[in-house]
Amino acid sequence: MTAYLFRRLLQSVVTVFIVTIVSFGLMKLMPGGPVRAILGTHATPANIAHLTQQMGLDRPLYVQYWTWLDGLLHGNLGFDYIVQRPISDLLFNALGASAYIVGASLLLALLIAIPMGMIQATRRNSVLDHAFTVFSFVAYGIPTFFIGFLIQQWFEDDLQWVSVQNQVSTFGAALTHPEAVCLPVLTLTITTVAGYSRYMRSGVLDQITQEYVRTAKAKGASMRRTMYAHVLRNALIPMVTLIGLSLPILVGGSLIVEFVFNIQGIGLLTTRAALQNDYGITLAATLLTAVVTVIGSLVADVSYAVLDPRVRLT
Amino acid sequence: MALLEVIGLRTEIRLKRSVVHALDGINLSVDAGETLGIVGESGCGKTMTAMSIMQLLPNGGTVVGGQIRLDGRDLLSLSPEEMDSVRGNDIGMIFQDPTTSLNPTMTIGRQISESVRIHRGASKKEAHERAVEALSLVGMPSPKQRALVYPHELSGGMRQRAMIAMALANEPKLLIADEPTTALDVTIQKQILELIDNLKQQLGMAVILVTHDLGVIAGRADKIAVMYAGKVVETTSTRALFANPRHPYTEALFASLPERSAESGERLYSIPGLPPDLTKPPAGCRFAARCRYATDECRTSEPPLAGTVEEHRFACFLPVGEPVYRTEAAPVAATAVATERVRVSRDSTLTEPLLRIEGLVKDYPVTAGLVLRRNVGSVSAVADVSLTVHQGETVGLVGESGCGKTTVGKLIVGLEKPTGGSLLFQDRDLAQAPRAERRHLRRDVQLMFQDSYAAMNPRMMVRSVMREPLDIHRVDSPAERDRRIREIFDLVGLPLSALDRYPHEFSGGQRQRVGLARALALRPKLIVADEPVSALDVSIQSQVLNLMRDLQGELGLSYLFISHDLSVIRYLSDRIGVMYLGKLVEIGPAESVYANPVHHYTRGLLDTIPVADPAVEAAKSSQGIAGELPSAIDPPSGCRFRTRCPAAQEICARVEPKLAPYGPDNHLAACHLPLRPAAAAAQEVAPALV
Repeated sequence: MTAYLFRRLLQSVVTVFIVTIVSFGLMKLMPGGPVRAILGTHATPANIAHLTQQMGLDRPLYVQYWTWLDGLLHGNLGFDYIVQRPISDLLFNALGASAYIVGASLLLALLIAIPMGMIQATRRNSVLDHAFTVFSFVAYGIPTFFIGFLIQQWFEDDLQWVSVQNQVSTFGAALTHPEAVCLPVLTLTITTVAGYSRYMRSGVLDQITQEYVRTAKAKGASMRRTMYAHVLRNALIPMVTLIGLSLPILVGGSLIVEFVFNIQGIGLLTTRAALQNDYGITLAATLLTAVVTVIGSLVADVSYAVLDPRVRLT
Repeated sequence: MALLEVIGLRTEIRLKRSVVHALDGINLSVDAGETLGIVGESGCGKTMTAMSIMQLLPNGGTVVGGQIRLDGRDLLSLSPEEMDSVRGNDIGMIFQDPTTSLNPTMTIGRQISESVRIHRGASKKEAHERAVEALSLVGMPSPKQRALVYPHELSGGMRQRAMIAMALANEPKLLIADEPTTALDVTIQKQILELIDNLKQQLGMAVILVTHDLGVIAGRADKIAVMYAGKVVETTSTRALFANPRHPYTEALFASLPERSAESGERLYSIPGLPPDLTKPPAGCRFAARCRYATDECRTSEPPLAGTVEEHRFACFLPVGEPVYRTEAAPVAATAVATERVRVSRDSTLTEPLLRIEGLVKDYPVTAGLVLRRNVGSVSAVADVSLTVHQGETVGLVGESGCGKTTVGKLIVGLEKPTGGSLLFQDRDLAQAPRAERRHLRRDVQLMFQDSYAAMNPRMMVRSVMREPLDIHRVDSPAERDRRIREIFDLVGLPLSALDRYPHEFSGGQRQRVGLARALALRPKLIVADEPVSALDVSIQSQVLNLMRDLQGELGLSYLFISHDLSVIRYLSDRIGVMYLGKLVEIGPAESVYANPVHHYTRGLLDTIPVADPAVEAAKSSQGIAGELPSAIDPPSGCRFRTRCPAAQEICARVEPKLAPYGPDNHLAACHLPLRPAAAAAQEVAPALV
């Protein structure tokens, strides 16, 4: 296990390193260049030359890359000339709000989807099963922004249960202002539950036809015991991969929900950066996604091995 | 009063549009300390009977009538909760495949103690102690440590022991064993069956042994119920059933056993047709449509389960055998075993060798390492095997799983590359020949699989399955290919309409015919048949064996027949090779190997294989082969069998025995301490004769 982790971590570092080279190279291939993006179309050649030199863009590519990488390793993501703030400030503020919303909804979704899938599978073709199935398909079929608008309309305008005064843009703000995040969390939870409960249902259905379940019943284990002591753990194994692979959404944010509920999250930030040719933030966000994706798959593999003793990580 | 009484049990399975009448009026009884064998072919309802007793029927299954009395209490009147307290406590059950029947994510100890905790309300600690006790009861070595491992860390035999420990943890009154050894090797099968026998006596349990294997039932059951199409057709003591079967179905089952015809080499009897569709069971005797004696009466009215004597009952108007209760076989039958082999033993070694294997070696690398994988050892799957298959000859290769017999087959057909040695097909090296020639040679060697269904693409029609090899090798014109396919289908006895069906639409026996037809499509000279009949029922098995033999006569085919089943091997083969842990330990003419084995392993194999004859089973020494197959990663030095050999001495560990001749008939064996002396003039063995 230790040897495996060591090897996987080493692999991850190499992967992230390759991502830095590729994304850095891609940014350089983009038309216009950062200086034009900052100064606009009416800049004088003198101004352009000055800023180019100030930003170090006149130096050879490998030197630029090395300077950027060196800064990165020291926690310095660079300075955003468009917003005139350090990139790390911008990124981590936005990340906080997004991660809170996505994380909370992911957790909630699991808490709902796992029992829901189990109930559906054990009472297959019952009224409850059909009702949940209809819910899942409807929730999955309606676009997220529409669900968002519906929820906003209903809870804020019609029922007036929630009134949002503050705009949330940091993790701290999200914690202290539950009223501002509850509706986006609800929106995301509904769509996530729709997908996860289907996976859970088919996972449990796969397991309850297995022969070891019959063995458990032959031992005299009650239905309840069979489900919780035997089926649940085995059915969770495929779910783990799913959860691991959805970790990147934590940092990618959910653009649509952020847009609908006007949350200054990472989704909006990166979209804006991409539209404005804001190289610094785009590069930093790309890298962050890569790192979290790599970590997510590592976490999935390790938890896989923890849940399933047959999987030996060597 | 018997411990378990099943009276008029009727079970139905509700499907979407129809109802399967799976069991129709089953009567059974078992006493404490008694073993009842339930035997029959797949689909006859034997497992359904066991599941009805346990009330663990599949979805849609319900018991619709009758009584199941355990100690006088009708199990069918119990609430689900009350039934939970019967299962695992009063009745223990073990299943066919211990690999899938154990929870893969729970330790053995916890799975056993769970049962104790449910029924005895024991604490975790007490239950664990009881689990360790149960594991030592079933002969699990170092039970304390084993209780903490997961099922995948144990061998198949050990898993089945764990399964038995689980079933017996609460000392049930009745043990139901549903095909308990079908997934296991013969040597392990014997150990497990003996264990069940011993535990039955020790704990005074009743046992219901459900199996399709007449050999297993002959040696272990006190009385037998033969089932057919959801009914008991004959029931009596084991000895009486085998000595004097009265129902034509029982008779037909016995007649299709290959060991009954091995001496004479006659065609095997096979039961024509298929069992009836139980959604619409026939009016009269359910076997009438396939019975060679059936009259109009059989087809219209149903014979009751009755008989001239109380101990022997059968459901037939026109019983076969003698109308007495007899437990000794008729003297005619007894002498038949001793008669000379009528079958003309073709001395195929005189014909030209088709395939010559010399010093074949296959190692699979084992890797380990932190970052860079390095080879740390190898699995020695095949170690220096030399073998010749002559024109028109059948060579049988037998041994436990993991002995390398399948790998030899894969190497011959080219699915694996040998690590060393040579494969000469008609004196051309299969591995060294140029690409184009190798491709051509491949046509002449084809493979027949154990599970033809798994080996066919389920989305391809049988016509495409058949066409594929012809298309790949661009044989003749497309029209000619179609003609050839029709010709082969005719040959294997399949209707042409079958070409436009999908693999799942066939029965097991038909699928195996398709598998054989596919192998024959390229008109090969040699067919490597890897366990081609081990997934089939005896009556279907006999059809496939007959077909294989007929085709050999017609087409001059050679077979390399790989099987773990010695009686099938003996019936079909001219010569038998016995493999153990990658080595060929003995090879010789079928009868000679069977009657006068030289190697202790061969002797042991012969002793462990259950024979469908209670007298033979009773007379057998209880010796089988002890222990389990050692790891092929670090095989024992010298003779690889020495760790399990009853005669092993110090020399066996030091020097590897070489194949030496025993007798004039090219009977060779590799043993330092053979069961009979070597041939007087022990000359060098010419490689061609191996």
